[in-house]
Amino acid sequence: MNFSRNPNPTELVDRYLQAVRFWQPKSARQEDVLAELGEDLRSQIEEKETEFGRSLNPDEVSTILKRCGSPMMVAGRLGPTRHLIGPALFPIYAFVLKMVLLWILVPVFIFIIGPVNLANAGGAWGPAVAATLANLLFALFIAAGIITLIFAIVERTSSQLGIECKWDPLKLPPVRPQERKTSFVKSGCELFFGFFGLVWLLLAPHYPFLILGPAAAFLKGAPIWHTFYIPILLLCLVGLLRSATMLWRPDWTSFPLWSQLLQNVLTFVVLNFLINAAHTGNGIWQPFLLPQDAVASSAHFIQVAGFVNLSILLCLAGTWLGLCIATIVQVWQLLMYLRKRFSGAHQPATLAR
Amino acid sequence: MELFENLRLELRRGCLIVAVLAQLRVEQYGYTLRKAMADDGLAIDEGTLYPLLRRLETQGLLVSQWREEDKRNKRFYRLSPVGEKILGRLLDEWKSINASLDRILQEAGRI
Repeated sequence: MNFSRNPNPTELVDRYLQAVRFWQPKSARQEDVLAELGEDLRSQIEEKETEFGRSLNPDEVSTILKRCGSPMMVAGRLGPTRHLIGPALFPIYAFVLKMVLLWILVPVFIFIIGPVNLANAGGAWGPAVAATLANLLFALFIAAGIITLIFAIVERTSSQLGIECKWDPLKLPPVRPQERKTSFVKSGCELFFGFFGLVWLLLAPHYPFLILGPAAAFLKGAPIWHTFYIPILLLCLVGLLRSATMLWRPDWTSFPLWSQLLQNVLTFVVLNFLINAAHTGNGIWQPFLLPQDAVASSAHFIQVAGFVNLSILLCLAGTWLGLCIATIVQVWQLLMYLRKRFSGAHQPATLAR
Repeated sequence: MELFENLRLELRRGCLIVAVLAQLRVEQYGYTLRKAMADDGLAIDEGTLYPLLRRLETQGLLVSQWREEDKRNKRFYRLSPVGEKILGRLLDEWKSINASLDRILQEAGRI
């Protein structure tokens, strides 16, 4: 590009204004603002020239322009303050967005559309789950867009019509005692990972490598899982419902404690039945995994399956022990909570955290 | 330092509006207004002043007109009648806040 090496001050200012114009939205106001900025810069140059008693050289003009700021930054500062949804409407916007996306769309897809798609999949569960997820993402995107658009329109029209929010202090709800609420992030993560855990569990019978990895080539699930697959699936659903409830009602402070205890007890029951079903008596155990039919007679693979079965049994025993300890701790926590709740029931509510 | 800078800007923002309105009791154009404020110790850059002038004009506190002076077109601003009333009320509020702050600082100094 061939730019003049020694432009005069006016030319430099014009170039600068042109660069600012590039970054500004086109409007009559833009030209007005630019004319004013140009006038300001020319006045600065003129004052310096009067002070020095000579014309400014390009470097001196450049210093003035640099002090003013880069064209993009100046364009940003000169433009109107823009926000799609202002601070007055933002809280209700965030609330509606959360309600529609998290409490309407996600549950509808998990509990209605997802199962319907799976039922109509004719055994092809993988593509059905993928299609449901893709549809969910699309629906979330569209819903978020529509809600944002509606609120943006309300924002514009309400500021133009001067609509004021009317409220009556006498109608505000009474002060509730402050209790530690369930963490939103914790519940959200539990729900998120719980959902993917459920999907993983649903896909596992059709894609054994999801559980066994490369060992799926020579190992397969034993018949014992036909009995326990559905109870494990239901346990997973219970966990998902628990996380969703905690996310929906973080103010239900006792719910996480007793629901966790209930979930542990249910897990404990299923685990107990699983271990009992595996133990047929006289020290004989039913296997959890069997060698694939093609390698069923291979001594090597029978030995590998034996090791894996023993590992699974030890893991189940460890989980059983861990659950016992966790249950004792949770019973203690629940008792402490109830004690604190009932001993403080007659104290006045306080706003202090 | 960043925290101080944010608080300082917040404190300055409201004061700048009062200062600009007070300066424009006498008609001025952008550059002379900026210069006058800088001379009085309240420097304000172009990117802050011109949007502020636009906003105050939109709110009906200022009136402006383009006029030729020294063979150049300049936009002159002055306080509107509404602006004069609002400025009077803002100055009363300012004095009241200042007096309260003085009392608070004196009481704090006694402790």
